Amino acid sequence: MGRLRKLRAISAVALAGGVAATLAGGATALASPSAKSVARASSSAPFVVADSSSVQKLDPDIITNFLDFQSLGLIYDTLVEENPKLQVAPDLATSWTFSNGNKALTFQLRKGVKFDDGSTFTSADVVASLKRVQAPKTGDASASFISSLSKVVPEGPYAVKLVLSHPDVSILEGLTSLNLAMLPAKAIANGSIAKKPDGTGPFKFSSWSPGNSFTVVRNPSYWGGKPALSTIKIETVPSEQSIASALQAHSVQLGLLTEPQVATHLPSTYKVQKVLSLSYRALMLQDKTGPLANVNARRAIACATNRKQIVGDAVFGQGVAVGPVPLGPFASNPVSSLCPTQNISMAKSYLKAAGMPNGFSFTAITSTDLDPTSSAQAVAMQSQLAQAGITMNIQNLAGDAYIQDWLKGNFQAAFAENGADPDPYVMYGRYFGTGANLGVPAGYSSPALQKLILQGDEAASTPVQTKLWSSLSANLTNNAVWIWLFDAFNYAAVAPNVHGFSLSPVVGTSLQALRSTTIS
Amino acid sequence: MLLGIVRRIVSMAVTLFGVAVVIFVVLRLLPGNAVTASLGVSSGLLTHAQLAALNHFYGVGEPAVQQFFSWLGSTLTGNLGISLASREPVSTLVGAALPITLELALASMVLGILIGVGFGMIGALHPGRWQDDVGQGVSVVGLAIPSFVIGTGLVTFLSSVFHYFPASQGYVSLLQNPWLNIQQIFFPALTLSLGIGAAIMNTTRAAMLEVSGLNFARTARGKGVSTRVLVWRHLFLNALVPVVTMSGIQLGYLLGGTVIVEQIFVLPGLGRLLVTSINNRDFPVVQTITLIFATGFVVVNMLVDVLYTIIDPRTRR
Repeated sequence: MGRLRKLRAISAVALAGGVAATLAGGATALASPSAKSVARASSSAPFVVADSSSVQKLDPDIITNFLDFQSLGLIYDTLVEENPKLQVAPDLATSWTFSNGNKALTFQLRKGVKFDDGSTFTSADVVASLKRVQAPKTGDASASFISSLSKVVPEGPYAVKLVLSHPDVSILEGLTSLNLAMLPAKAIANGSIAKKPDGTGPFKFSSWSPGNSFTVVRNPSYWGGKPALSTIKIETVPSEQSIASALQAHSVQLGLLTEPQVATHLPSTYKVQKVLSLSYRALMLQDKTGPLANVNARRAIACATNRKQIVGDAVFGQGVAVGPVPLGPFASNPVSSLCPTQNISMAKSYLKAAGMPNGFSFTAITSTDLDPTSSAQAVAMQSQLAQAGITMNIQNLAGDAYIQDWLKGNFQAAFAENGADPDPYVMYGRYFGTGANLGVPAGYSSPALQKLILQGDEAASTPVQTKLWSSLSANLTNNAVWIWLFDAFNYAAVAPNVHGFSLSPVVGTSLQALRSTTIS
Repeated sequence: MLLGIVRRIVSMAVTLFGVAVVIFVVLRLLPGNAVTASLGVSSGLLTHAQLAALNHFYGVGEPAVQQFFSWLGSTLTGNLGISLASREPVSTLVGAALPITLELALASMVLGILIGVGFGMIGALHPGRWQDDVGQGVSVVGLAIPSFVIGTGLVTFLSSVFHYFPASQGYVSLLQNPWLNIQQIFFPALTLSLGIGAAIMNTTRAAMLEVSGLNFARTARGKGVSTRVLVWRHLFLNALVPVVTMSGIQLGYLLGGTVIVEQIFVLPGLGRLLVTSINNRDFPVVQTITLIFATGFVVVNMLVDVLYTIIDPRTRR
């Protein structure tokens, strides 16, 4: 009996080692969460923004990641910006005028603006910034926005004239991109841009831990007035479920979300804001060979598609069906001039007209690495097309394999998430314009379309632009060039003690409201 | 024994060279390169001149053999290169992440051994009784439920019920804030330790049961040796070899397990850096981290072999 007791005692010691140590840390760790929460909310603590992505580069000319635009948008300004209504508005340029038949654009620059290094912003910085964008070694993918720019001429310290090779009204929209941010000429000359951001925006660069966090501090000499928040830390929280947990633990004040299943299930104490993203989902078609070369076969696909159901299946109804121009002053309305809603009998008629009354089959590529919803979109559309007798095979590819095939046009159809812009020329000049950079993946070209795009780019008056861009939408949907599907929401979950923040749909300025945000 | 260690070190070097070759080849077989990984489909917008400049900048198109030996030579001289994505030195990135993963691995291992050896011994000393059943239950949970499910469940439960998620405040080191650091490491370590503990527990239990039925154990009991001495000196020491083996194997796998757990618990360790770097086709970082993981694995295996000779002198021959 005594031996048994001793055995138990030994067992207890061993178990104590395993379990007591395990529980002790946890139990004591749980002791004071509320005290911690209060500490985080104090004014001296940084304002923490959580995102599942991380800041990947510091050079605004070469960034492509959404969070890079948002983060560096707090530091840098552009000549002109898009306001929340997606209209071009003054930023470092206070006004502008087109002249010489839209072949010259003159900007009047804001005075009294200083870079973080203390130097004054002048026309020399504009010249140096735009030259840097155009230099091949910079590798700025947005250089195509200013491909018409042949010369930048300073007209005194606070005015600059852009001389264009051909009439190009859309260059103004292109200049809103943060890839064309205004940088100090001195920093460009000494090559420090990629290491230490130096802008004229409301916040100044403080620190960057690649993959983990990016911190900015208030710029007291910001030309738009001193921001209320002293420090903003953009923290990488790799999964959106963990962002929701961090919000509930009061560790972050603002969570940036894209997954509707996370955003719509947060406790009601959090204010969840949503805006349509500046991107759209479409089924891109290679229209040169096979059954998809037949316009009526493509039209059959367009009419068999039920966009509303795809929105329901892919993003839980958290999006809207869109046409070629998803938002802004020239938004496509209706979303398709051919079949705005699903029409199976019309689809079958088009199949007959195509000489394929029994349907046809094709293969569509997706990549859940690049767009997690693409597989759900494809499955939903597969069953819809089957109702008309069209067989769509689905091939899911790894991200890089998809990119390679996409760039080479090595696909019949591709589910894609493409960037949108309020200016249809910026959106589609690259795909369907004359000498388009992305003409191969676009898979379609026609002189009529090229002419429309060119006319839209050159048109100076809004009524003319509206008419031309409306014709563009009709041309694209009538010919079922691609099948435009939907635009999903982006979300911002805001802690209850945060005031004055509103999420903007504009990529580069979506966090700009932080300059007037306060925390109680 | 010394000769054995030297042999081991040589074989370790050969293994690591093999790992370096394999990871180098595998990375180059993946579609895409640093330019497309960096710009995605936007790389289609580049002009030929831009693309040529970027290819030159990222070293795309250089002969693979030249790239390999250039990288290997630099690595051996301590120069790990520059990250293609962030343009930061690889040594800086890895230097910041490595201590976090090491701390997590160590804490997980300690917890795993405590849980595994503790429950394993109790189960072996009370076979078929409720104490054994509890241990078996813990073992089944640890083995059957993947660490990412346990981790996600823990994070969701603690944050929604207790508003508690210390790691989301941003990682702090043990020196900066010891108390917060312990809280940040404890739960991911607990998550990883359940799987490790379960494997060690089963090994400990089986080994203890096996040795307790051997002649020397019966003799010791017959001689009236005290239970404490019987369990710790005779049974446990003789059961230690398979337990150490299993612990070594688990430590190797643990390094891989940190990849997922660091993602869930927001720890900026090597695992998270590896995932980000693979996505960015950041070859210098991926190669370095893979080599570190491989080195950790072979070093642990070597240490286990050395430990055998200490635990069981018969293996020195």
